[in-house]
Amino acid sequence: MHIPDGFLATPVWGSLDVAAVPAVGLLVRRAQRGFDESKAPLLGVMGAFVFAAQMINFPVGIGTSGHLVGGALLAITLGPAAAGVVMTAILAIQALVFQDGGVLALGANVINMAVAGVLAGYLPFRYWGAGKWRKPAIFLGAMLSVLVSAVLALAQLLISGVAMPASVLGLSLALFVASAALEGAITLAVVQALETIQPGLVPKPQARGSFIRGALASAAVLLAVVGVLFASAQPDGLEKLAQNVGLSSQARVLFTTPLADYEAGFLRSPWLRKATAGMAGLVLIYAACVLFGRVVSRNRSS
Amino acid sequence: MHHVVLERWSRRESTLHCRDPRAKAVALVIFLVIVATTHRSFAGAACAYFLLLVALLVWARLPLLAVLARAALVLPFTLVFALISVVAGDPHRALLLMGKSYLSALAVLLVVGTTPLPRLLRAFESLGAPRFLLMVAQFVYRYLFVIAEEAQHMRVAAASRGASASPAARFRAAAGALAVLFARSYARAEAIHRAMLARGFEGRFRLLSVLRFGWADAVFLLLAVAAPLAVRLALEAGA
Repeated sequence: MHIPDGFLATPVWGSLDVAAVPAVGLLVRRAQRGFDESKAPLLGVMGAFVFAAQMINFPVGIGTSGHLVGGALLAITLGPAAAGVVMTAILAIQALVFQDGGVLALGANVINMAVAGVLAGYLPFRYWGAGKWRKPAIFLGAMLSVLVSAVLALAQLLISGVAMPASVLGLSLALFVASAALEGAITLAVVQALETIQPGLVPKPQARGSFIRGALASAAVLLAVVGVLFASAQPDGLEKLAQNVGLSSQARVLFTTPLADYEAGFLRSPWLRKATAGMAGLVLIYAACVLFGRVVSRNRSS
Repeated sequence: MHHVVLERWSRRESTLHCRDPRAKAVALVIFLVIVATTHRSFAGAACAYFLLLVALLVWARLPLLAVLARAALVLPFTLVFALISVVAGDPHRALLLMGKSYLSALAVLLVVGTTPLPRLLRAFESLGAPRFLLMVAQFVYRYLFVIAEEAQHMRVAAASRGASASPAARFRAAAGALAVLFARSYARAEAIHRAMLARGFEGRFRLLSVLRFGWADAVFLLLAVAAPLAVRLALEAGA
């Protein structure tokens, strides 16, 4: 589910864009550790493969068919960081060239699919990928990856105030679970076919996790998904909690003071005042990111 | 295939095509922010933004109807949520969703339709996006249609071998096809990499011309930001 522009409230897309920048930076750095810069063609062509894979239909019963989403398959075959970079590149191309997903909402889509989706898809494989639980791990990972992305997107829409009657919400959740199960089945079938035609292409993770840890991690992700959904369906609950603890007034002071002086008196329009403060904030964040990046890269190279 | 259309559009010539891609990228983001944060008197503002975009499209000598139709690609998805909003008793939000998503898509198309993708990605690089990511994106775009064509061939081949088997068999066959496609793409990537090294690839793509941010670009950026801002302020002052 690619969120177009215009769906998310400004604080939602703004904060997710800000969060996506360091996340993608980290993914790129990790991915380059495993693949040097000259391996960019491999990641790019695998991204093109994910695009093309949408053309191969998988029959799902009477008349309907589904297709591979691919986040978990990439995470298993290329590693999670490289898969995150590939998914980010795909999302950018989709937003720019195919009008599939917005540009301002790119941060939200990247967090949902390229960061959270890919990491959740890799998690069970990381713990169980080497042993006799390999097949369930692949299935569960692909399922989790679709489920996490979809629920996060739904939660962001709900927080942004897109009203949804309970029946629609229930129906879309059922659809998510069904498509997640389909993704699990497709990913498992493709990995198995891949291992018969070209053994060694799908790596085995070093057996470093125990069964219990894997189960705990997967359960934690599932619980978090359910929690996020509940929290976003009833955001008042959180606010009430914050009020009870007396957090919200303090937090508000903390958030508004740094830029309060920017609301210059000569600007009459309340919106223009807010916009200037917001723009000043964006420029500050941008400058901070660039500076931080420079310092870090200088430290690395020296 | 419709990407070819975009390639043709972005290689035409007009004053807008000549502008520095960085100016266009920055102007695009600011315009999108202005659209996204418009709430009061949205209908009037939306009409003004729309007319502004149409004027730019005409100025850029892009085929108007084709671009307007292409931007409507966002509408099916939006329509679902607009309907849900109407059912939930929030028709104003339905209007906001449709208007904002369409205007945003149109603005993106205006920039992508006047800027070849390699130049646009280079602009992102000089604005601070990681080069590795942009290289991957460029490869995705370059091989997208190559691999998609291969997938299309496999689909036709599978259909002509007889696709009337049981669903379980067809599921396995589709999985097998994807696995073959995966392995072929992997091998193709290695061949591409070797060919690039043989031609002296040094870790970054070269543009045919250098990006240059001149006075005209500065003026364009200023006007592109000032026009929607003025529309909005005028409308809010009137409301």
